[in-house]
Amino acid sequence: MAEVGIILRQGVDFARQWLVGMGATPFQALVASKVFETTVTISVILAIPLFLVYAERKISAFMQARLGPMHTGPWGLLQTPADTLKLFFKEDIVPQGADPLIHLMAVVLAAAPVFVCFAPVPFGRGFPLINLDTGILFVFAVSGISTLGILAAGWGSANKFSMLGGIRGAAQMVSYEIPRALSVVPVVLFYSSLNLQTIACAQMVRWHGWMPKWFIFYPGIGQIAFILFLIASVAETNRIPFDIPEAESELVSGYHTEYSGMKFAFFFLAEYVYVFLSSALAATLFLGGGDGAAFLPSWVWFTLKTGAVIFLFLWFRWTFPRLRVDRLMQFCWQFLLPLALVNIVLAAAWITWKTA
Amino acid sequence: MTLETGIFYGLGGLLLILSLLVVTTRNLFRGALALSTALGVMAGLFVLLGGDFLAAGQLLIYVGGVMVLILFVVMFVQTPALFRAPQTNRRWIPALVLGAGVAAVFIHIFYTVPMPEETLAPAAPTSAALGKLLLGDMAVPFEVVSLILLAALVGALVFGLEREL
Repeated sequence: MAEVGIILRQGVDFARQWLVGMGATPFQALVASKVFETTVTISVILAIPLFLVYAERKISAFMQARLGPMHTGPWGLLQTPADTLKLFFKEDIVPQGADPLIHLMAVVLAAAPVFVCFAPVPFGRGFPLINLDTGILFVFAVSGISTLGILAAGWGSANKFSMLGGIRGAAQMVSYEIPRALSVVPVVLFYSSLNLQTIACAQMVRWHGWMPKWFIFYPGIGQIAFILFLIASVAETNRIPFDIPEAESELVSGYHTEYSGMKFAFFFLAEYVYVFLSSALAATLFLGGGDGAAFLPSWVWFTLKTGAVIFLFLWFRWTFPRLRVDRLMQFCWQFLLPLALVNIVLAAAWITWKTA
Repeated sequence: MTLETGIFYGLGGLLLILSLLVVTTRNLFRGALALSTALGVMAGLFVLLGGDFLAAGQLLIYVGGVMVLILFVVMFVQTPALFRAPQTNRRWIPALVLGAGVAAVFIHIFYTVPMPEETLAPAAPTSAALGKLLLGDMAVPFEVVSLILLAALVGALVFGLEREL
């Protein structure tokens, strides 16, 4: 198998030179190639939820000794496309008394930032769309905009359950953003860069010639940072055991109770793409990105690591019961946050000791 | 017109429209959403000026943090009566005159004072230099600012306490 990233990069360079040869200025060719790359990336991202929903259904089913979807297509492979088609044709209902503009803008605010977040993610060799210097900060900043969408969905539905769900969701996401960002600080300290590409490349070396120097293998600091990041990411994506904003048994379905058709589908799309984004970030920051044995190309290694973290997300779902809303906040502010701060101090002490 | 100029005028126009919407709309929630979009557009202007770290910080702190708190407040205070309340008070004529005066001074300065004709420097990463500055030469002011934030935090806690200390 070949390095897709490098082939794509060469293809784009070739197309750019061809455009310049056809009479375009280099700047116009650059803009055209960037538009093309962005379109390709967004199309690929749009396909991710299809696979994730199928994986979620099948893995959940196997964990409960069921078969999962079996009737639509071989092994139920066409179940998710069929569901998507159904959602396309469903009527779009805006509740009476709701603000139609806010009801619509909520979907846009919740789903649009997802696609921007993927710009600096290095999927393998030659991949990141933009080699962004503020990489990890940019991802956290842009994904934070989705909180506004969830709050607007709660308010714009004119429904008490939605409103409660929206408020819970916003409170949870604002709170868990802090330990999530702080858990990454040791990584940034060790590699002295915010750039995701630099962080991924710095982990491509070996300890004693055989042990991969991924961040998770730094004794103590690496494991604590990874677990903090994982817990906070599960909470950020509103998944069980942190799905207080949706909580079917108390709030019907939280902030997306009043949404139907494609608007509803976009909330789900955003959630699944965020799961993928969090796993991709975990793979980049802690598991060495595209690093791996040479018999597989780097993008395959990256996908495998991301898939492993996604499996952890699914595993959590069928292992832990839902937290109560006050316990959720207590856990974040009284356990995760102090632990993240202690971890930062430990990392700084380690670096000072090493450089002294 | 270069691409940068086009983006600048596009973002600037959007910012003006959104800011006007914030102060004219009677629906507080829509106003808050317009304000958050305006702050996001401001981040775009920062990027155009080469402040990549500043833009990310603007999105992280203002759009993702402060605006969520403002929306919480809006949820508590928005009542149907607000849709009929007057949007101006008795002093709107003096305020208008004062505003027009300030605008006139600005326009006068814009047309009389010669502006340096400088092109934008090519965008370069700023986060490394900013980090060195904040924890090196500017360490003391940086710490003092964080002390003010700590004081504000403790103050909010004291005011928020239900029983007396």
